[in-house]
Amino acid sequence: MAKRTKSKSKRHGRSFGARFFRGGLLRIAFYFLLATLSFVFLYPFIKMITQSLMTDEDLINITVKWIPSKLTWSNYAIAFRRLQFGTYFWNSFKVAVVGTIGHVFSCSMTGYAFARYKFRFKGALFGLVILSMIVPVQTIIIPQYMQYSNWGWINSPYYLPLLVPAFFGFGLSGGFFIFLFRQFFLGLPYEMEEAARVDGCGPIRTYARIMLPMSQSSLLVCSVLSLVWHWNDYFEPGIYVTDVWLKMLPNRLPSLYAELSKENFTMIQVNDLEGIIFNEAMLMAATFLCIVPILIMYLILQRRFMEGVERSGLTGM
Amino acid sequence: MSTKAVKKHRRHLSMDRKRSLEALIFLAPWIIGLCLFFIRPIFVSVRLSFSEITRMKGFVMEGVGLQNYQYIFFYDINFVPMFLKTITNTLLNTPICLVFSLVIAILINRPMKGRGFFRAAFFIPVLLGAGYVMKQMLGMGADGATITTGIMVPQLIADLLGHSLTEFLQGVLDRITVVLWKSGVQIVLFLAGLQGISSSLYEAARVDGATEWEMFWKITLPMITPVILMNLVYTIVNFFTDATNPIVDYIYQQSFGNPQQFAHGAAMGWVYFAFAFLLCVIVIGVMRRFVFVSGGKE
Repeated sequence: MAKRTKSKSKRHGRSFGARFFRGGLLRIAFYFLLATLSFVFLYPFIKMITQSLMTDEDLINITVKWIPSKLTWSNYAIAFRRLQFGTYFWNSFKVAVVGTIGHVFSCSMTGYAFARYKFRFKGALFGLVILSMIVPVQTIIIPQYMQYSNWGWINSPYYLPLLVPAFFGFGLSGGFFIFLFRQFFLGLPYEMEEAARVDGCGPIRTYARIMLPMSQSSLLVCSVLSLVWHWNDYFEPGIYVTDVWLKMLPNRLPSLYAELSKENFTMIQVNDLEGIIFNEAMLMAATFLCIVPILIMYLILQRRFMEGVERSGLTGM
Repeated sequence: MSTKAVKKHRRHLSMDRKRSLEALIFLAPWIIGLCLFFIRPIFVSVRLSFSEITRMKGFVMEGVGLQNYQYIFFYDINFVPMFLKTITNTLLNTPICLVFSLVIAILINRPMKGRGFFRAAFFIPVLLGAGYVMKQMLGMGADGATITTGIMVPQLIADLLGHSLTEFLQGVLDRITVVLWKSGVQIVLFLAGLQGISSSLYEAARVDGATEWEMFWKITLPMITPVILMNLVYTIVNFFTDATNPIVDYIYQQSFGNPQQFAHGAAMGWVYFAFAFLLCVIVIGVMRRFVFVSGGKE
């Protein structure tokens, strides 16, 4: 090692690899690698978008694979109406937003308790948190369903089975968020709290006025993830919400697909669309519409989200 | 404590006790949640796995001991093979997932043009969700063909390698593709971990003449072992609970199809979960020794 440094003293002891990297060749390879990987990630997404803009002739035409002959934006208009987007979007929106509020509220409190306090059975209780992460929903879905059924919560217009657990630290990945907040709070310095105590703040005030504002980054992370996961969830809503008008977007989509198959098979169209034949491209447009809200939200929050992750202090167990 | 506080309380609470009570305030929602939403369903489900439904209405159960478990292991032809397949899949996919997400995280951690774009790109699969949307995107082609992979082996190479080797290669690529799609969250977590490593460590190492390679093994890797552990647990859990898993689907069908099968479904679910839990415990136990705790009070 020392020998190498001495003989290449002109280059300030940098290793061969580092110089090569700076030399640009590796950089090209590196961008190429990144681009290839991104392609894999984006492939279905791109495919979906391009397909959604195809005309019905394009769909049959096998030479058309990536670029539609004409950007048929009307597909989106039809999909919008067919999906009855307004109703279902609003349903999904309600659940996602309220659920997220619930998660942020309860999981941050719980994470704070685990990070900052010592109490009996702390280890065992935290084990239970981990457990709640691990147990798959499918295992406990039947007893849960039975329980909610007894309470009359099935098909509740307030989406009770989906929302109430979130306010108590459960719900979708509640355990994970508790974990997340705990990690973050562990990384904060004690001095802030001690200063607050000295100034006479009670525990709740300390938490609400000092610790919470400091945890903005992890609050953001939790919110984004919770929104996304609530929005895309089709399993629990599929079980607890069967009323057609209460459903959410991810559950509306399969109905639409079924309608398409039926129409294709029976050659009978539902006549509310002035004789427009419903096709796969419109279906793709409908699928895309389902995730557009989340996409928009993510693009807006993306910068702050990434920074939030960086500052969440997720190192250290 | 001020004298006022002492006068107010009839009993003099120790600092520890006081703190414990405070903790209770913050824990209260979760503990309520435990009792209402967690403990009971788990308990009932476990009980269900040891019973049999005698009447549909009202879900009357009768204890039958290990009968259900015997059934799923010895009589049900689907369960054991699916279970084994899932286990092998998970054991294979998890390391691939972690290695890839770590590599990608390191790559996009470097300052470069388009960093924002790449970060957004890798997170897109998470945004799209694991559900119907994804299934449709994978399953629908304009001509109804299945698109299962973004990377196909080019025809030229396929001709060179011959049939079975090409198939193997394609299988590998398929697996990598599927794994990559599921690694969005891991990448984000690794990114966070990487950014938490203070750059002064790297500077000091450079001054001492370390190579990039050495810096990776001696600084980067040890410093992110906590994140590795978190990712490991999350990935294992994720693969096990993935709804597109054949076995999860099977458990689901069993639980919601024939009423006679409810108890079987519960038993299967518990065997499955017990295994996942065991795996996590082993992983945590093993990794504990390697995890570098960077200090901070606990």
